[in-house]
Order: sequence, then structure tokens, then C-alpha cells
Amino acid sequence: MFNIKPIYGIILLMAFVGCRRPERAKRVPLEVFFRNPVKTSFLISPDGKCISYLQPYNNRLNIYVQDSAGKTCRLTNETDRNIASYFWVDNDKLFYMKDRAGKENVRLYAVDKNTASLMDFMPQGDYKIKILNNYRVIDNQLLIALNIRDSSLFDVYRLDIKTYKLKQAAKNPGNITEWYADEKGKIRLAEASDGVNETLLFRLDETKKFSPVLTNNFKTSIAPIGFCFSDKDRACIYALSNQNRDKTALVQFNCKTGKEERTLFSHKDVDVSEGSYSSKLMKVTYAVYENFKKQRHYLDDSVKAIFQDLEAKLPGSEVRIVSRDSTDRKLIVRTFNDKTPGAYYKYTLNDKNLVKLSDVNPSLPESEMSEMKPVQFTSRDGLIINGYLTLPKSSDGKNLPVVVIPHGGPASRTSWGYNSEVQFLANRGYAVFQINYRGSTGYGKNFWKSGFKSWGTTIQNDITDGVKWLISQDIANPKRIAVYGSGFGGYAALSGLCFQPGLYSCGASYSGITNMFTYIKGIPPYYKPYLQMFYEMVGNPEKDADYFRTYSPVFHTDKINVPVLLAQGAKDPRANVNETNQFVKELKKKGVPITYILKENEGHIFNNQENREEFYRKLEKFLSDNMNK
Amino acid sequence: MKADQQVYRKNFVLVVAFLVLISLSLIAALLLGFNLTKKYVENEFYSAKINVQEEIVKPYEDFFQNKIPEISFYQGYLDSVSVVKYVDTVLKRFDFVTKVVFYDTEISNHQISDGLKMGNMAVSPRSVLQFKRNIKPDSVVLYKSSLPNTLSIKNSDEFNKMAIRFASFIEAVDTAKALSNDDIFYNISPSKITYMNIPRREELKIFKDLMKKSVPVSPLYQEDILTFYLEPQLLKIKNTHPELYQKISIKPLVYESIDTNPNLIATDIALPGALADYKLYFSSYRDYLNKEIARRFLPIAIALILIYGVLVTVAYLIFRNLNINSKMFKLQYDFINNLTHEFKTPVSVIKIAGNNIRSSHELTNVERKHYGKILDEEADKLNDLMNKLLSFTQIENRSIKLKYEEISLEVFIQNVIDTYQLKHPDFDIDCAIDDVGYFKSDPVLLASVFSNLIDNAYKYSPADRKQLDIRVRKAKRNIEFVFTDSGIGIPASEINNIFRKFYRVQSQYNQQGSVGLGLAFCKELLNFMNGDIFVTSVVNKGSVFTVTLPFEV
Repeated sequence: MFNIKPIYGIILLMAFVGCRRPERAKRVPLEVFFRNPVKTSFLISPDGKCISYLQPYNNRLNIYVQDSAGKTCRLTNETDRNIASYFWVDNDKLFYMKDRAGKENVRLYAVDKNTASLMDFMPQGDYKIKILNNYRVIDNQLLIALNIRDSSLFDVYRLDIKTYKLKQAAKNPGNITEWYADEKGKIRLAEASDGVNETLLFRLDETKKFSPVLTNNFKTSIAPIGFCFSDKDRACIYALSNQNRDKTALVQFNCKTGKEERTLFSHKDVDVSEGSYSSKLMKVTYAVYENFKKQRHYLDDSVKAIFQDLEAKLPGSEVRIVSRDSTDRKLIVRTFNDKTPGAYYKYTLNDKNLVKLSDVNPSLPESEMSEMKPVQFTSRDGLIINGYLTLPKSSDGKNLPVVVIPHGGPASRTSWGYNSEVQFLANRGYAVFQINYRGSTGYGKNFWKSGFKSWGTTIQNDITDGVKWLISQDIANPKRIAVYGSGFGGYAALSGLCFQPGLYSCGASYSGITNMFTYIKGIPPYYKPYLQMFYEMVGNPEKDADYFRTYSPVFHTDKINVPVLLAQGAKDPRANVNETNQFVKELKKKGVPITYILKENEGHIFNNQENREEFYRKLEKFLSDNMNK
Repeated sequence: MKADQQVYRKNFVLVVAFLVLISLSLIAALLLGFNLTKKYVENEFYSAKINVQEEIVKPYEDFFQNKIPEISFYQGYLDSVSVVKYVDTVLKRFDFVTKVVFYDTEISNHQISDGLKMGNMAVSPRSVLQFKRNIKPDSVVLYKSSLPNTLSIKNSDEFNKMAIRFASFIEAVDTAKALSNDDIFYNISPSKITYMNIPRREELKIFKDLMKKSVPVSPLYQEDILTFYLEPQLLKIKNTHPELYQKISIKPLVYESIDTNPNLIATDIALPGALADYKLYFSSYRDYLNKEIARRFLPIAIALILIYGVLVTVAYLIFRNLNINSKMFKLQYDFINNLTHEFKTPVSVIKIAGNNIRSSHELTNVERKHYGKILDEEADKLNDLMNKLLSFTQIENRSIKLKYEEISLEVFIQNVIDTYQLKHPDFDIDCAIDDVGYFKSDPVLLASVFSNLIDNAYKYSPADRKQLDIRVRKAKRNIEFVFTDSGIGIPASEINNIFRKFYRVQSQYNQQGSVGLGLAFCKELLNFMNGDIFVTSVVNKGSVFTVTLPFEV
């Protein structure tokens, strides 16, 4: 009898040990996070009979179509690059865009749904294409803007989707930056810019000339969303405006008088970021604002009812309508939340029937993903800064290794939702900290403006303050903090390594900006009108040469003492590879451990899955090597 | 007789030969070491110059590899104001840069008055500035585009070279590829480096179009060209090998020393890149090098002598061990001699007695008793001898066991004394026991120790002083037996040897009947019984043997 007791003891002890060790999240393989989605970009044909989607074929995204009988076929045969985007132009035809190796420009092709025959109808040359008027085809005509005549100017063309004939619809006199068409496809609004000031132009119909409505400095914007009426008042538009206010609001605006007529919706803390315009109803059905996540304010009861039904059917998920047929009765709905990229559903309004089409990433175990929580801290000068913190699943939230990810831009923001990079790092045991530092958009005009000419100074302070706040909350282990970002985020990372010695144990930059001179010089020709604006936002390379030199990491390699990872596409037009090479050479000479990933055939972003996976594999190793995990 | 082959040999000739051989080796090694060191130092004089050159050229390399490419970081945005800062850091950090000329360059397809035009591409300076240390402010500006046709050929020479180089590069460049070779933007000539910032890939494309096509009037593209004038003589000389080089100087490439001193050794090495028409000139006098040779040879010599010393010591130690072994050999040899002798006496007595018995026709009762007694006694002697040898080997091998019994000391000692007084009526043995009655020990072994010590006391005492005093007393946890005789004593020089096997103090008392085992046997026995034995002695006065054993009741 007696010898049973110790066995109980051992079992108890084992149970105790078992409980003590926090149950760690299962290690999900890297490929699962970064693999191309199985099926994505679902669209419904205008007649509602077919559903199309992108699916990898030979590792590249291609278009597939499924008819109402459930028969599926692949329409395209692209093996070098992913299809970037596509859309239905009528019941039988789809247009798609594919980027070309090493160039940032995409090219437009057409493919027939029934015969899968491909048409490469656009003129040859190196130009950009923008689809206007919300991809709507009116009288077989699609409105597109091309900078084919002069790389710095976009003219409007009408593209006949049957004959593929291009006809110029409006010629750019030299200063127009945006074009807007009404529900009949007539170009009646435009925005002109002299680089700093933006002028809204309006005309009653295409036969007349544009006349200026009002001129604003670029810091104030009136962004048209759609026209209010078809005939009653042809000068009334809906717009997102921050004229005379800090936070952008959804307003009704009269182009004849240049006066705002009423405010449809505004939010006291954040900008209204979007208005969903229905050209059928000729009204804005809801406004979107983003506090900690995107929220809808409904302006139409029928739309509200649809969303409420969807939300009731899909609890715990964010819901977006991504495609609708011509009658608006059949919808494609996309769900997501912070732990999953979600799924696509088909929703039929008539019977309120919801059918799941596909998970975006079915191999991703939602239960192993981590929650993305909004956080807030106060910067050294008293500004409230918002951010997000993703703690590794089942951690106690104390003394964790942290990866700080400043977003790019800087005129951009981190939004709540699924992010494979963040979830990947959290799954590897890192807390991920994302900061909407000053200069980020969405928090009003003043917050955005306070980031002007503040690269490396107050913007960097906000990031540093955020990290210090995280340390003071005992969440971060002060010896195990890494900083990583791309674009401006990469700049912030390198700048943190240069100018906040001791704060970070290593840093990684993915196509990061190392030199502000290069950044300004790299503004593409069609952005030239904006140059003055860039000078105001970032700085003038001649007048502010001292500021540029003081805060560009490329001049301060001698101050970096911790390991660095640099990833760069050799064809990135925004960076100068020779310069990155020089940066690497100097760090190497100094004996700083450096991991350099240079991809000859990639641009600003690594597009090919193999390159992307290689990058993340190296990033994972780099972080684990240098944060003594 | 083969016997003399087994004699223990000491070969002094061998020892001497060995010493001579290693001494010769030492001398040879010293000579060889010295010559090698000399060769090595001389070789180093010619080869270490590369290290010195590397060290002296370091600032130039830093300037060339890091500071010049920094111009590209400014992306062509350098102008007459911001270039001053850049140039200041150059002039401050790099002493050998004497002058910097800055060409604020514009590339376009405009009509130009100064500069170069290739195809439709015009490369023209907007301004040309020169910077030196302590330059007068009014001599900074060499040219300004606001004053056309004032650019002198002298001031535009480097600019033109670079512009032509750049144009030919643009003509051939493949703009679809990432720019790989950036050396095209350097133009290196003696004491001059011209550098143009590396334009972006997009710009190269534009320039190519400007050159080859006729496009509408283009904007002005800003690029920077800088020419650095270098003075190699101003490079700081750092002698990283002061032990080798007495003097290092920077001389023109054609320089040859006219010093005719045959003891002067010299070598040189050319400077790299833009400094290539100068060389580093190294010289030293032979005495100077000899000092270095001596310095490096010293540790080698010390090491060799140390090895020599160790060898000699080892040789001495081996020699000493051989000596000791030869003594041991002699002892054993003596022992066998003695033993044989010891055996021989009783054996010959027995043989004589046997012969006598055999040859006599009739034995009288007296004779029979006499011979019987002789045979009995001699057999006892032999037996005793053999027992002693056997038990000695047994003790040495620890193959006997102690049999403890309670012993009454008084009875035990009295028995021993009685036996001896029967044997030697002339022996005066006195005994005193202090306060001890019984103790535990092996009586046989203890008796053996007693008989040995008493035997010795009798044997080594002159006939008139045959007396022994035995005292037994307790000392702490031990029991002590003290045997005091008035014998001949032991000389102090021998006192350490008497407990050794086969050792005998040479004296007239032990010509026979002694094997030199007695005391060694006692010591072994006592060790075996966890006891000990000591001796103190005065020659001709007597000896005191003290036996201690653990006191157990």
C-alpha cells in the first residue's frame, strides 16, 4: 500500500509542472503565413450568374470563373507575375492588370469568359493606368486615365470594351491631378494642383469648360465622392472635407457657390475616412470612420439592414461587401478579424441566404493567432498617441521580447485587422508594437501636419516614447527590443539604431529609406507637380540640406553598433542600390553584423512568394539570433 | 668465467660521450638559430613594408572608399552653400587633400555657353568653386554661369574629362539593368581624383533620351562633380615597425638614395591610386638591424640553454640512480654471500658430525649424546634461519595474519629473560614495568621483536658489559618498550641505515652469524602491527631502542 503514495506524488508533481508552464502557442510554419491565398478577390458578374476569383496556378495568381452550374475553369495562364487586379466589364468579359518585371507600372489585358481568349489591346509603352468612375462601364465605355502622352500628366480616355478603341475624353492642360465622372460617365469634376495649392474644377456638362470652384492649400482637402442628384441640382456633390475643420467630415457641397451645404456625418476624434456611394441610389449609404477599428455610420436603412443581418449571421467578424451584381441583389461578402484573413461568402438579398465560398487562408489555425489590442500613451510633449499591441498567445504579457513596427508613409496609419507579418512574429513569441505616431493620417489635420519635416525628430520621439512606455508597463524586456519597418518604417528603424543607442538590440529595414536626399530625388516624374508639397512635408533638399544630413541614417553608419538586416529590391525606383551597397559596406567595415538581402529582380516590394518567404525566414533567424531567445 | 659479465657496470665513457654530444648540439643549435634569425629579420625588412604602407594609406583609403562616395548621398543637391560643409569636413580630416574644386553641374538639352555638348545632351557647370585651407574669400569663385564664356580651359580641364567619360557611359548604358559598376564615376590621375555623384537609374534613362532623341526643352538636372587635389607628401607617416625601419619617407617614384655607405639597406613600395607617382622609401643601417637580430635571438638562446640544462640534469639524475642501484646490487650480493656462509657453517658441522658418526665403529654413549646435540642444535639453527627468511618475505608481502591475545606483560617478559639467561648466563637483563599489567598483541610477533632486540644487545656488547635494561611504560595511547644496552653503539652516520634490509654496520662483532635482517625485520613487523621503532645511540656507550605499539586492552 505504501509504495503507491510516491507515485501519486509524482503524478501530482507532473500535473503541477504541466500547469505551471504556460501553454505556448503552436508554432505555425512560416509558409502558412505568407503563402499566396488559395482563392481571393472574389467578384460576381454583372448578371449575378458567375463568380470569379484569383487562385494560384504554378504559384502565380490567375483568374478562375465558376458559373451558376458550379463548373469552374481557369481563364488566364500567367506564370511570371501575379495578376494584380481584375474586374468584370460585362457579363462575358473581364479586364485584368498584371505588373511587369522590375517596373512599377501595370498593364491592362482583357480575357473572354467563354473562350478564355486573351487580348493585349493597349498601346505599347511605359505608362501608368488608372481606372476612373469606380470601374463602371456605361454604354460599353470604360473611363481610364493614362500618362501615355507625357509621363507627368494623366489624360482621360474612353475605352470601348467591345472594339477596344481608345478615344481621348479630356486632355490634361498640365495641372489636373484627378478626374471625376458622374453617374452617366461624363467628366464633370477635376482637381488641379500647382504643387502646393489644389483647385477644384467643375462644369455642368462636357461641352462646357471647367471653371474653378475653390482653391485650397494641399493641407486642406475636399475629396468628391459622388453627385447628389442627376438633374435637380447638377452642382451638388458629396465630399469628404476638412475645410475649416480639423477632422475630415462627410459633407454635401455646392460646386456653383463653392459652399458647403450641410454636414452629413462627422466624428469628434477621428476623420471620416470613406463614404460608400451608391450610384443607383445617388446617395452615400454609409460613412466609415476609424477609431480603433473601422466603423460604419449608416445613412441608409436598407443598407443598414443588410449589414445587420450579415453581422448577426457572422458573429465575431468584420464584414465588407466587396462585389455586387448590377441589380445589387447578389453580393460577395468578405469577413476578417485580427486573427484571420477571413473568408468570402455569397449573399443573396432575396432569401437572405449566405453561402461560404472560400477561406482566404484555410491552413491558418485561427486559434493559434493572437489578439491585436488598441493601446494609448502620451508622448513627451503631451500628445496622445494611439497604437496596437499584439501579445503572443498565452503569454503572461510581462517582460516580453518586442518587435516595434513603425508603419510606412509617414502619411498613413496602422489599422486594426489581420496582418500576416504581425501574426507571424507573435507566433514566434514576440510582442508586436505598432504606433500611429504623429504625421499618421486619420486623426485629423493637425495631427497629420505635426509630422511635417519631423522625420527623425518628433516622429522618432513618439516611437521612442512608445517603446519607453512599453518598458515602463513591464511588457517589454528592455534588453530584447527590435525595430523593423519598410519604407518610412525602415527609415524609422535605422534612425532608431543611429540616434537612440541602447534602446534596440537589433533592427531590420525592408526597402527602407536610408537617405532623405534620395527619397526626394526619387519622386517619379508624374509626381513632379507635388514636389513643392513634398518640400513642405519632408523638406527642401537644398534649403534643408543640414536637416537632411543630420537625420539621414546613410550619413551616420558610424553610430550603429547593433546587428542590422537590410532587404532591398535592386529595381526599387525609390532607393538607390549603390547607396544601400555603400551603407552595407561601411557597416561591414565597422564590424557591425549585417544581413543583406538584395534581390536583382524585385522592386520596392518583394512580389515573388519565394523571395518573400526567404525574407521572412531570414528575418526570423535574424531576430532570434540577436534577441537571445 | 662468465661471472665478470654479470658484474655491475658503470660506463663513464658513455656519460662523457653523451655530455660532449649534447654540448656540440647546443653550439650547433645556437649557430643555426642565430643565422635563421638574421635571415628572418632581413626578409622581414623587405616584406613588412606592405604593412607599413597599409597603415600609412589608411586615411587615403577611408577618404577614397567612404568620404568621396558620400557625395552621391546628396543626390546632386549640393550647391555653393551646402558644399562648403562637406568640403570643410574633408579638409579638416584629410591633411593630404590640398584643394577641392566643386563643379555645380547641370545636365539638360539647352543651349549652353560653357561646358560640353554631346548629341543633344549638354553638361555645363552652373558655378565652379575652389576650396583650400586659408583661402581668401574672393578667390573661391572661379566661374559663374551668370558670366558666360568666362570659364578658362585650365579651370575646366577636370570637368571636361569627367563630362566626356560620363557621356560615353550614357551612350552605352543599359538602363534596364541595375547599375553595377560605379567606378565609372571616378576619374583618377596622379595627385587628382574627380568624382561625379552616381545618378539614379531613372535619370540615366532620361539622359540617354536627351542625348539621342530630340525631346522638348528639358528641365535642368542637378549633378555634382568634385575634383580633389592631393599632396602625397602630406600623408602622415606611421612607422608600425620601428624595430626594422630606421627611417621612412615619401619620395617621388624615381628617387634613388645617393648615400654610398655599404651598411645602408633600403627598400621601397609604390603608393596606390591617385598617389601612384610617389613611393614609400624605407632605410636602415646594418647596426640597427643587428640590434633587432640580437633582440630576437636572445629568447632563442635562452630556450636552447634551458633545454641543455634540463638534459644535463636528467643525465645527472640517471647517473645517480644507477649509482644507487649499484649499491643495492652490492648489498644483495653481500647478503647472498652471508647467507651462504650462514648456511654453510651448520651444514659443514652436520657434515662433520655425520662423517664422524659414519667413520667410527662404535659410539660411546657420551659421543652419541654429543653428536645428537650437535645435529639437533645445527638443525635448529638452519630452521631458525629459514623461518626468519620466510617470515620476512611473508611480512613484506603482508601474507600473515595477526593473532591478538591478551598478554600479561610480566609473565611474557620474564619468560623471554629466562630463556636468554639460560642461553647466556653472562647476560645481565633487567626489567621494570611501570603500571601496565595486560595488553593485547600478537605474542609470537612480539616475541620475535624482543628476541631480535635482545640478540642484538648481546651481540654488540663487549664481553664485560653485556647488560640490558628493559622498561615498559604507557605513553598516551601507546605502550613503549625501551631497550637500553651498554654496547658499542652506532655511529651517527649509520643510524639511518640500520633499519634497511641487508645492511650491517661494519665491526668486529658481526664477522659471522649476521645477515643484516634483524632490525629491518623488526621494523617491518612493527609497521605491520601499527607500531614503530626508534633508536638513539652513543658510540662505545650504548644504544637505546624504543618500540611503541598501540595500547589495546
